[in-house]
Amino acid sequence: MSQIPVTVLTGFLGAGKTTLLNRILTENHGKKYAVIVNEFGEMGIDGDLVVDADEEIFEMNNGCICCTVRGDLIRIIGGLMKRKDKLDGMIIETTGLADPAPVAQTFFTDQEVRERTKLDAVVTVVDAYHFLDRVQESREAEEQVAFADVILVNKTDLVDEARLKQVEARIRQINPYARTLRSKKSEVALDAVLDRGAFDLKRILDIQPAFLETDHDDHGHGHDHHHHDHDHDHHHHHHDEPKLDPNRHEGGIESISFVTEKPVDVQAFQKWMSGILQSKGADILRSKGILSVAGADKRYVFQGVHMLMDGDIGQPWKPGEKRISKLVFIGRNLDAAELKRGFDSCAT
Amino acid sequence: MSGTVRPPEIRSFDLGAFVTAAAFTPKGAAGFALGSGALVVADAKGELFSTEVNEGGALLSLAADPAGEAFLTGDDSGKVVRIHAGGGGETVEIVKGKWIEHLVAHAGRKAFAFAAGKEAVAIDAKGRRALGPHPSTIAGLAFSPDGSRLAAAHYGGATVWVHDQPASAPRKLAWKGSHVAIAYAPTAKFLATATQENAIHVWRLANSRDMQMQGYVAKPKWLAWNMDGQSLTSSATEAVTVWSFQGDGPEGKPPLEFGPREGALMSAVVAHPRQALFLAGWDDGAITLADPKIKRAGMVHRGHGKISALAFDATGDRALYGTEGGEAGLITLPGLNR
Repeated sequence: MSQIPVTVLTGFLGAGKTTLLNRILTENHGKKYAVIVNEFGEMGIDGDLVVDADEEIFEMNNGCICCTVRGDLIRIIGGLMKRKDKLDGMIIETTGLADPAPVAQTFFTDQEVRERTKLDAVVTVVDAYHFLDRVQESREAEEQVAFADVILVNKTDLVDEARLKQVEARIRQINPYARTLRSKKSEVALDAVLDRGAFDLKRILDIQPAFLETDHDDHGHGHDHHHHDHDHDHHHHHHDEPKLDPNRHEGGIESISFVTEKPVDVQAFQKWMSGILQSKGADILRSKGILSVAGADKRYVFQGVHMLMDGDIGQPWKPGEKRISKLVFIGRNLDAAELKRGFDSCAT
Repeated sequence: MSGTVRPPEIRSFDLGAFVTAAAFTPKGAAGFALGSGALVVADAKGELFSTEVNEGGALLSLAADPAGEAFLTGDDSGKVVRIHAGGGGETVEIVKGKWIEHLVAHAGRKAFAFAAGKEAVAIDAKGRRALGPHPSTIAGLAFSPDGSRLAAAHYGGATVWVHDQPASAPRKLAWKGSHVAIAYAPTAKFLATATQENAIHVWRLANSRDMQMQGYVAKPKWLAWNMDGQSLTSSATEAVTVWSFQGDGPEGKPPLEFGPREGALMSAVVAHPRQALFLAGWDDGAITLADPKIKRAGMVHRGHGKISALAFDATGDRALYGTEGGEAGLITLPGLNR
């Protein structure tokens, strides 16, 4: 059974989520999307298959304190799959104040949901005019950026270039791995937000800071700039030092990355990683890694959301390709030195 | 299964849409609720009649009407509709914006109930009563064996109502987590729920003492008590797995496991109404008849697609099945009751 891609759309009230949703639904793409909106949504959505969700967050009674799922999504996805018309995709809109974690965790934990759908990407719409204030005062705004695979910096017409650069710099500080796009009225090419495969372990070739990909395209053509598979010297950290943002602030979200050219012992890594996620998972919002495993021709790729993690054999290394293992954490209170020690201990 | 000499007779047909539920009327008309929004009724002669109940949407629940030869359907446009076995029908309720995923009936009490969001609605000759709200959207409903109680599964446990006295305080059975299915033992001594954490929770109703059965590969959403309430089985297993509630109950004892099927997972199960047998549907389309006494399960049918609907008639001579892919059928089990 082919799994239906699901896009999670987050962002504060008024950022432009509904405008983006309506653009997706009305564009002439010949595809059928179901849209799951929250009942306190901003305004009307024009699609023919719009389902009201009521954001029921359920704690999993499995000893994992931070593991919550969206019970309503499990129910709605199960119901939609019974319909006769087959869907090309689903889009889940979250409330402005929602924590994206329970939504993402639903796709990691629920077996029926996993059978039928796959999380494609978390898309976050931010309002360029209000973002710097919002992110200052709201934990949710920061988390929505931290969780994102694609960030739409919207309403660019309301701010000048200097302000935009500040906004983008702040976004990168929280999450340099998300692809950042600029837009005025949520005008963006649909392939820039849909079918990204951001959680598809088979499609992940590399984890790169995305600032070189920033799409300065105000007109919504959204050419795909993610062709950074070839060598860029500044991406190859020929040292084992963790990359840490110098402007980190107490309790704020930041990202840390590690690279090593030494092959990694995957069993040691899994053991270490699950220990880290068990003890620090509440603070680690997302984790990603590509590992070069000793003696293996293929990448080992993993993705985590808080305490949950999915790992699999990924794409093969090309002949002559430099095999570099990379590990990225996005979260709070990250102890870079300790994480580096742990990661180093997995290298063979 | 000592009585099974002849093989079961199967009459199958392609209904072209996800079979979401199946049920028999008291006189034996067979109904299949579909993801296309249609109800297909097979009459006694085996002729099929299709009624479009929820165009553009899906039928999500189905029960035999306790008041006569008709079916009650629940759908994703918030409608409860009565469809007469002989044709024709009427809308019973519309709850705008809600999905009617759970609809149950009790023939003896001539009552039925459905869930609409966090509320349950019970309807009988005396009237219509809204029960709730519950802590979350209701994920399972069951009448007690005598029909006097209505139990709802939800986040945080289950709630048991004396449904014709909505003002009286309901009984609350608490257990952390999300409960996604519910089933009363025919003795009314136990109430079982399935949970989001791939477990079964059972309350002993005399004293509310509870027990937990864990280790299922998926959510055991189909719970089946045998006709005397002595054993409980469920879906989400790789072999038929039966807990004994004889004597002191199952605490500290392993379940009976038999009839494993390589690489398949049980996706639906119902109890025979008169014998200690279970009819099990699997995600590879197989249907087996399981006899815990001799620890054997015999193949009844090999269909296509995950079994998504199963139902026995009142005698246990006939059963219905449906699959996610749209195959449906009528199973006649000869010799069983002789």
